[in-house]
Amino acid sequence: MSAPASAPAAPSHGHELEQSKFWIYVQIAMLLAVITGLELVTVYLPFVRWLLFSVLAVLSTVKFMFVIFYFMHLRWDRVFCTILFFIGLVLAAATMWALLKIFGADASKPLPMTMLFPPALVLRIA
Amino acid sequence: MSSDAAAAPIDHHFDPTTTTGIPNKKVLMWAFLASDCMFFGCLISTHLIYRLHPPPGTLPAKQVFSIELTSFSTFILLMSSLMMALAVNAIQKGNLKSMRWSLLTTIFFGCIFLGCQVYEFRNFVFEKHLTITNSILGSTFFTLTGTHGLHVLVGVIWLSGMLLYSFTGRLTERQAIDVESMGLYWHFVDIVWIVIFTAVYLLEYI
Repeated sequence: MSAPASAPAAPSHGHELEQSKFWIYVQIAMLLAVITGLELVTVYLPFVRWLLFSVLAVLSTVKFMFVIFYFMHLRWDRVFCTILFFIGLVLAAATMWALLKIFGADASKPLPMTMLFPPALVLRIA
Repeated sequence: MSSDAAAAPIDHHFDPTTTTGIPNKKVLMWAFLASDCMFFGCLISTHLIYRLHPPPGTLPAKQVFSIELTSFSTFILLMSSLMMALAVNAIQKGNLKSMRWSLLTTIFFGCIFLGCQVYEFRNFVFEKHLTITNSILGSTFFTLTGTHGLHVLVGVIWLSGMLLYSFTGRLTERQAIDVESMGLYWHFVDIVWIVIFTAVYLLEYI
């Protein structure tokens, strides 16, 4: 009995939500464009490298999160979708971090050619 | 009772027939995107690793890249993502005409992005002499951005198919999940480009 009485209220609430979503999407798109412009300006600023890198990382992360939570609807969907996607995302990010740590270490630097082929060895072979 | 069921608004975020409450197509797409995250993570990692210690004589990436063109294509892809979100929003309200226009605009922007990529690749190969085989930078760059470009191409083809399907009369608000799943794929392509733009292009300039 109460279900038919509550049913008419749901469409108007849903309609208002869909209307507000339209303007949310447009505003977020404008924000993403502005952030992209900021990233472009950042690379030309005369600051230390680690600071520029941090700013770029933060701006990219902000863009990333806006797209996945608003454009991809994670904000309005069940949390299971968020968990599912973040499993892959965290695994990818962790793998990337681990690889960069390994190959960024001093021991991973390529040896200079003179160490691989010392002049004395080259002369002997010749 | 049947008229009440027919008039009841469709909740596009809840499916009572599944155990998770989420439409199966949506779960499938999210699982696929999670796996694709790992795929692109590996490609991006490979590129960054080889940029840590470039071999002597490697062409400086700053001399090769055109940041203006890449920024423009990034903007275009972001706008295509907006249009895709509006297309999904339209079909969830049962507005087929608006969905078609939004899809068409998404396809248009997607094609512009692909055109920019093709122009960029041709410029790198023929003007800057950077190919997929003549340097490590070329190998990692073209593999990564080429794979992304293929994803965009598949997305454009999928969008075009959905646009044509919308004219058959079989695409209604009840099938909005199909458009939403496609939208998830397109937005994923966009977020991968957000990462590539920063990690591959912008980092070369700092």
